[in-house]
Amino acid sequence: MRRITFLCGHYGSGKSEIAVNLAIDCGIDYLVDLDVINPYFRSRSVHERLAAEGVTLVESSIEKAPNSDLPVISAKGAVPFHDKSLSAIYDLGGTREGAKLVQQYRHLFAADDAVDFLVVVNVFRPETTDAEKIHHLIDTLETAADLKATGLINNSNLIKETRAEHIEKGEGVLTEVASARNIPIRYTFHEESVPLKGTFSGETRLLRRYLAKKWL
Amino acid sequence: MAKVLMKGNEAMALAAIEGGCDAFFGYPITPQNEIPEYLSRHMGEKGRVFVQAESEVAAINMVYGAAGAGARALTSSSSPGIALKQEGISYIAGSELPCVIINVMRGGPGLGGIQPSQADYNQVTKGGGNGDYHLLAFAPENLQETVNIIKESFDLADYYRNPVIIAVDGLLGQMMEPVDLEAAPKTEDAKEKKWAADGNSDREGGRNVITSIHLDPLELEQHNLKLKKKYDEMRAKEQRYEMIETDDADIVFVAYGSMARIARSAVKTLREEGIKVGMIRPVTIWPFPEKAFDELSKSVKTLLTLEMSLGQMHEDVRAANNGRFQLDFYGRTGGVVPEPEEIIDHVKRMLEKEGSS
Repeated sequence: MRRITFLCGHYGSGKSEIAVNLAIDCGIDYLVDLDVINPYFRSRSVHERLAAEGVTLVESSIEKAPNSDLPVISAKGAVPFHDKSLSAIYDLGGTREGAKLVQQYRHLFAADDAVDFLVVVNVFRPETTDAEKIHHLIDTLETAADLKATGLINNSNLIKETRAEHIEKGEGVLTEVASARNIPIRYTFHEESVPLKGTFSGETRLLRRYLAKKWL
Repeated sequence: MAKVLMKGNEAMALAAIEGGCDAFFGYPITPQNEIPEYLSRHMGEKGRVFVQAESEVAAINMVYGAAGAGARALTSSSSPGIALKQEGISYIAGSELPCVIINVMRGGPGLGGIQPSQADYNQVTKGGGNGDYHLLAFAPENLQETVNIIKESFDLADYYRNPVIIAVDGLLGQMMEPVDLEAAPKTEDAKEKKWAADGNSDREGGRNVITSIHLDPLELEQHNLKLKKKYDEMRAKEQRYEMIETDDADIVFVAYGSMARIARSAVKTLREEGIKVGMIRPVTIWPFPEKAFDELSKSVKTLLTLEMSLGQMHEDVRAANNGRFQLDFYGRTGGVVPEPEEIIDHVKRMLEKEGSS
């Protein structure tokens, strides 16, 4: 992973869950939750676990009042741009407005900085079922963020009904998108209960569900 | 259409479009904002109406007007927003107009909080508005069931000429689940609404008037009795529920919506430990499924009502039980969603108490 990763994707693509998984599994220093739109299933619900893993969580709630939201982004979110020894993941809201929040940091990194802008895609979300729709989404997010996507993450799933062929379908659609944009599929995520079949162009990673309720 | 992964609020909005919704009027409130957001993007594409009104009161009165003109009208909100709409809902029911209302419930009273709750049970089933009226009220537990019911609700509203309300807690609005829109029952096309105030005064019988005012007490009483006939028909025909492992159960849970999902998980674990539990899951909360209680075997010892409120449905359980079985209650409120383990612990405490007495 590059030192700084912006994670973007249509809402409901699983990007917050992936942000938490990557932060924990890759020993990331900072997880900055810029998704101030969603009221539920936020990374703050696992703040204790993140702290235990040595991940500093920056988000928009008032300390000790997790359901209070302020429409502000803590200045702590900029720390990894000043202290270059830190790695960070930025979890962006899944809309044009969400992606715009990247721009506040734009002056802090040079073009040659190690910054990734990864787009999470689940091809079973109605807005990202085919290459054309995904290109449209990426174009929108790139324009809003003023940053080019550097890779894709295949998170194609139907939650508990996911089978290996669903993830393969995602690989097929995303391969088409990746080659047209000349960017790689960086990761393919799957849960332990769904062993992968076939070959995947990106690194395959296990997804643990930290944010969803177990009984759901 | 194959299965797609959707967020509850989006799936409900799409189901409304598929159910033939002609017009939506609403005002934003968490945790249901994805419903108007989705409809604002997609209603126009289909040549239908989307209005973000200046308030909840305005929105429900726009529903009143659109329904009066014969449109399939929808509004959605969350608990305090539904409270604001009660006057309009009473007018719509009194004027015998069909409409669909979606309530994605959050904690109360007052402004409360934004986390999931079932504390609108009384508001939804007993009516917050004035007069002898009822809403046909559904409380589904997963997104596929919610989608199916919303599609069907436009037909039911037209059939009864009465508002239908779908009450889900915020969790169902915000969670993701696979849904198949085509698995839902086929919706009927809206039939001609001969009563609609649609500007056609040339029809046989003359001009149509939509009103809820009847100043003569005898006339208003007759109007109320006419409404009652519809409510009696709903009570006879629309009670919907699911019986889950109740045949040999000693303890029967009564739970709806997300709470029923949590309770299902507890039923499974307790059964694995050899404790005989089952569940009545109301799908309609008005009419309350009293028939389910008549199906219980005499061997049942206790009914345990489980709610994300402090026992609002429990009063209906008490009435439906009619003195037959012992009653117990466990609930969390204010936006707290219990874990299955809390229910399991409660059942074990019940059994200990029973053993020691």
